[in-house]
Amino acid sequence: MSWQTYVDEHLMCDIDGQHLTAAAILGQDGSVWAQSAAFPQFKPDEIAAIVKDFDEPGSLAPTGLFLGGTKYMVIQGEPGAVIRGKKGAGGVCVKKTNQALVLGVYEEPMTPGQCNMVVERLGDYLYEQGL
Amino acid sequence: MEAVVVDYGSKLLKAGIASPDQDPPYIIPTKMKRVLEEGEEAGGDGTGNDEEVMVDTVVRGFVSDWDAMEDLLHHVLYTNIGWEIGDEGQILFTEPLFTPKYLREQLVQLMFETFNVSGFYASEQAVLSLYAVGRISGCTIDIGHGKIDVAPVCEGAVHHMASKRFETGGVDLTNLLAQELQKSNPSVNIDISDVEKIKELYAKCASDQIEFEKMQNSYLPEQHTLPDGQVITIGKERYIVGEALFQPQILGLEEYGIVEQLVSSVSNVASEYHRQLLENTMLCGGTAAMTGFEKRFQSEANVSASAIRPALVKPPEYMPENLARNSAWMGGAILAKVVFPQNQHVTKGEYDETGPAIVHKKCF
Repeated sequence: MSWQTYVDEHLMCDIDGQHLTAAAILGQDGSVWAQSAAFPQFKPDEIAAIVKDFDEPGSLAPTGLFLGGTKYMVIQGEPGAVIRGKKGAGGVCVKKTNQALVLGVYEEPMTPGQCNMVVERLGDYLYEQGL
Repeated sequence: MEAVVVDYGSKLLKAGIASPDQDPPYIIPTKMKRVLEEGEEAGGDGTGNDEEVMVDTVVRGFVSDWDAMEDLLHHVLYTNIGWEIGDEGQILFTEPLFTPKYLREQLVQLMFETFNVSGFYASEQAVLSLYAVGRISGCTIDIGHGKIDVAPVCEGAVHHMASKRFETGGVDLTNLLAQELQKSNPSVNIDISDVEKIKELYAKCASDQIEFEKMQNSYLPEQHTLPDGQVITIGKERYIVGEALFQPQILGLEEYGIVEQLVSSVSNVASEYHRQLLENTMLCGGTAAMTGFEKRFQSEANVSASAIRPALVKPPEYMPENLARNSAWMGGAILAKVVFPQNQHVTKGEYDETGPAIVHKKCF
């Protein structure tokens, strides 16, 4: 299975009639393993900041999470495993696996809970596969 | 079927069917008595004492005795609210800040497996209190019986990095009052539950520190008759309870007063939110309903070191009088009207599939 299929079929899948606006699986160095069509153009230092927050939880909260120039307010995640950001009624969820980062961007009317379910489910699966 | 909202606190449990602009229908104490069965002994002292044992179901905001909690919820849900076994509805719980993950999971498990609810949601009290006054952003200072939570909330999400929780609350103030009363009334033996009532009747906040010091020296004593007939005098002790919140050294704590805590907590949030947070400060919780507390808070806030003056939120007119005490429950009622119809809650099917850990993903 290619990484692109993971993104297209598992991350961008339908839940209760909704789906993520954008999703991607990135390496922890910022390299793109696969991304959906609408995924924002991000900068390497944004990814570096995210990875740093996984190692030092709380470093991203004062400044906010940036992805593709969009600023997300950091909300409750799971230190070292999940970072969640919120922007108005939408937001982003980043799950860390052994070697990768699974990202999902959602907007209204999808709920944060649904985004978390999708992203974290795939993240857990990859984690178990050793990736 | 209407959803039920439950706000369990260290002293009182507020519960009822979600009705946003009303007081919670059932407000019952969370202290329970364990009635011992025959042959069991109380307290392990081996004397075969078969009196009832007082159990603190909720300590410092968190559930400590799950059996007692189960019994309490059973009574509230089936007897008071009128659920029927086999036809349970949806339930929304409030929780304090920094609730450990395992406690949330245990609550979810209890609700789905023992009570068989059809839907579950949990939300933090800070966010709910703000909903009750019609805001999604602001700073809540929740002064309860077992704990004080200071939480900045932005657009419905608590900033956990900036929030603070103190393990002091109404119960410590009661103990302080008991000590002080014992000093001025050495011959009278006062029971702690009577001190609790005295605190609620007489405790006041001096309008500022200077006035407090004046009160220490010249006070108007009042006579109070205890239920068992003894008479005690209460004078300057009544002010010390309120003062302890602004000068924690009185309680023996090496901390700043409540206003400084608010300012330092907000300073940990990105600066563009500061104005919104400080200008929408909300005081809630039983202890915050003390006479004179709000006025004192506002006046201390005006002279505080922050560039933006903290301003207290005015509750909407359609809300009942003692909003501060029950704001978390009311906010829960408001949220319940939104969350359950939109299926954002945890359903039985999802619980069965994923297990208790689902609460971390769906409820925040």
